[in-house]
Amino acid sequence: MNSSLKKSLESAFKEVHLNFPEKDRLIINVKKDQAMSILKFLKEKGYEHLALVSCIDWIEEKEFELVYVLSSYLQNDSEYTEKEKANIILKTIVPRDNPRFFTTIPIFQNSEPYEREIHELYGIHFEGHPRQIPLFLERDYKIPPFRKDFDTRQYVKQVFDNIPSVEDRAGEK
Amino acid sequence: MDRNQLRKWLKEPAKMGHKYSLHAIYFCTGCGIIEVPPSITARWDAERFGIIPVATPRQANLFLITGYVSVKTLKAIIRTYEQMPEPKFTVGFGSCPINGGMYWDSYNTIKHLDKYIPVDGWIAGCMPRPEAIFVAVTHLWTLIDKEMANGYKRYREKYRYYRANQEKVLGKLEWPPLFQIEDKDEQLVKEKS
Repeated sequence: MNSSLKKSLESAFKEVHLNFPEKDRLIINVKKDQAMSILKFLKEKGYEHLALVSCIDWIEEKEFELVYVLSSYLQNDSEYTEKEKANIILKTIVPRDNPRFFTTIPIFQNSEPYEREIHELYGIHFEGHPRQIPLFLERDYKIPPFRKDFDTRQYVKQVFDNIPSVEDRAGEK
Repeated sequence: MDRNQLRKWLKEPAKMGHKYSLHAIYFCTGCGIIEVPPSITARWDAERFGIIPVATPRQANLFLITGYVSVKTLKAIIRTYEQMPEPKFTVGFGSCPINGGMYWDSYNTIKHLDKYIPVDGWIAGCMPRPEAIFVAVTHLWTLIDKEMANGYKRYREKYRYYRANQEKVLGKLEWPPLFQIEDKDEQLVKEKS
């Protein structure tokens, strides 16, 4: 399956690791610099539905892994055959000490909220993103809360458990 | 109408009115709201108990907190609670508002709701069945009878402490105080500076 896609990807880009874990699924591991051009290439190929942008914190390897999940609406198009349809997962590595990546809004417009979410929960800076303001969180966190070194129990003890009950406050007076 | 209650009705008509016309506000937090549609529709029919869901806080006097309360939701809860006319009764529904429940070490979920607004009763469980709402309501009736459902009075009396707790978790609040706060409490002044 996807032999034409595989060939065209391998001919267009060097150092691309393609991996077929199961039927209709393709995992592409690329370097940070190449990711944008491959995403653009895949969109031109017809994989124009960005389903999800996710992030994984590999704290032992000291890196973040950004995951872009793409799929296509090709099966409804008479030009393409059923064989070409696939879910593509594009993975790229961002170093943990300098978490910077480029925004994919020029290619996939709907990545805006995903990138905002990753920015506030993992602290990855997306260059060129028009508004990286918090999406869900109300409070300020020294370490973004989805990083592995964020100690939730300690944070809860410091913040929420430290607030006295109203009866205590009234009794102290 | 129950004939035995005639004396109560004549003695304290307003209280009996509050008791049997609890208007619950539509306010969804967390997953507990899934128990509310069956309890207000034909299967359990909350109107037998005088409970009608209403759309705005200005018409409501029963506030069901139906699930975990995140920091952002707490802001909406406080604003809704302050808009409700007195007397108003709050019931925490499910284990999450009581002590955090399964979100006990979550980074963005407040653990004890009664630190921020007064709560008159709790329904424990995860999830409680719709019957539990009616058990809670009948308990609330007896509490109203004995004048023990006095959360709104507590809110009036200890407003500065509630406000201090709210400010501690939410930062600076965007709305003015509901009641006047005398800034003479030394500890609170110390905390603010």
